Amino acid sequence: MAILDTEILVIGSGAGGAVTAATVARAGRSVVIVEEGPWVDPDATEPFSLAEMVAKYRHGGSCAALGRPAIAYAEGRCVGGSTEINSGLYHRLPTELADEWQRVYRIDEFGGDELDRYAQRIEDELGVSRLPGAPPMSSAVLERGAAKLGWQAVEFSRVFRYESSGRAVKQTMARTLLPRAMEAGARVIANCRVSKLTRHDGRVDGARCVRAREDGSSEDLLIRADHVFVCAGATQSPALLQRSGIRRNIGNGLKMHPTVKIAARFEHPIDHGDVPMHRVTEFAPGFTIGGSASRRGHVALALADSGADYADALADWERVAVYYAAIRSEGHGRVVALPGLAAPLVTYNLSEGDMSRLARALLHLGEVLLAAGATEMYPSITGGVVARSTDDLVQWWDATSRNRANLMTVHLTSTVRIGENRERTGADSFGRVWGYSNLRVNDASLLPDAPGVNPQGTIMAIAARNSDHFLAQT
Amino acid sequence: MSPALDPRSREAVESYVDDTLRSMPEYLRAGVLGESLLFGAGPRLAHALGRQDHAGLRTRIDGWRTSRIDFVRQYVRLLQSLVLFAENELAPSGT
Repeated sequence: MAILDTEILVIGSGAGGAVTAATVARAGRSVVIVEEGPWVDPDATEPFSLAEMVAKYRHGGSCAALGRPAIAYAEGRCVGGSTEINSGLYHRLPTELADEWQRVYRIDEFGGDELDRYAQRIEDELGVSRLPGAPPMSSAVLERGAAKLGWQAVEFSRVFRYESSGRAVKQTMARTLLPRAMEAGARVIANCRVSKLTRHDGRVDGARCVRAREDGSSEDLLIRADHVFVCAGATQSPALLQRSGIRRNIGNGLKMHPTVKIAARFEHPIDHGDVPMHRVTEFAPGFTIGGSASRRGHVALALADSGADYADALADWERVAVYYAAIRSEGHGRVVALPGLAAPLVTYNLSEGDMSRLARALLHLGEVLLAAGATEMYPSITGGVVARSTDDLVQWWDATSRNRANLMTVHLTSTVRIGENRERTGADSFGRVWGYSNLRVNDASLLPDAPGVNPQGTIMAIAARNSDHFLAQT
Repeated sequence: MSPALDPRSREAVESYVDDTLRSMPEYLRAGVLGESLLFGAGPRLAHALGRQDHAGLRTRIDGWRTSRIDFVRQYVRLLQSLVLFAENELAPSGT
């Protein structure tokens, strides 16, 4: 077995891990980052394509949280994590939510102002901006529909920079913070899965890993470290902790943004190369309405989800785009590492209130698309009628049931909550796992609840805050 | 799978579906395997006896697709999703 020594081991290279690694490496600390997935050039595959799913998604994009109904979910498994595969939409944590979390979970130094300071630092470093020109048609229809209904809609900022040629470049972690961490001396080891952490007397002293070689063989690797940050995301971080025998309040508070979709057909062609930047925020934080990736493959999937005959609409796919409504859920789920299995079991239970909110969200999504000029709408409800008028939408209300709804999510959080309330949290106010002086979690798992908006900005701000705290303490 | 697919595309779609099923979490893969054995038993037996009924099989699959039993519906949805996505992404113009 090969042995490697480092001061700080960061497990996972997504939004949380990359911020952690860059922050501590720049402070002159010795850092090793391990990532289960491969290093893929950010320009190697087209966004949201089949090739991207194969190269960068965990389980090729085919994961589901079991429950009634099951909820499909997607997450990244490559250097840069989910920042490599998401739409790059950026949102700060709403101040009122930060204040509520601080109160309920008793999180020290966690006010909205505190987090905004870190968010600003992230935004300055990465480049967070709005479109330099007019929005694409797929995004403009949301703005147009909302305006007709008198609803609030906003263009969200994105973690993008615009080159002089006008090319928009998503500022993924593989493109930004990870190379900068490496410039500061950090080492990234890709294709390296951590099987368990090694523990001794209330401390973690390293990680047992299996590293895949290019020739298909593998080698065992023991990385010994003074401090360990687990940043593998909301499903993998708790699973690793559980596999390592650390279980108290770990993995049992999973939250997400369950999402219903509509494939909407228009009289005019719609662009399909980007994800719409506009969001209808009229009903936030209960639910928000936005647009999804709408390549031909996604259009086909969304059309098929209704169970209706979609051949004609698919033949006309250039006039079809996919939109969604994502709710803040009252339900919760679990992540459980099963002995002998590589993947943890993920479950999620929607509340009756969630089902009602999903139905309402679907109807409002239909309303705004009709107002924007949609002529035909296929809901992600098996047997849901293809709607062509507001009268048709009413039928979706009863159709949105547990045994007919086809749901998905891309935001999973809250499996190792932070705070001083030990009954409800798995880690202290700065992500240190209870009972372990040198083990920290620093990713989406720490969020006490799903924020109702794209969580990348929140994850990065909290990770920067916790990293600064670590540097001040050690 | 669309009968209009040329053999090369068909092979690519099958390869993608196979690889994706293989990379799914073990507990989902076990469920898919179990359902495939269960739902595939009748058609396999009919095939062995030389009594294939394509129309009947299609009707049965349509029934599973709209089943009120979630795991039955999701089974058909999963397989259909993988095939549809690959078919359409591998088409000449994916975007």
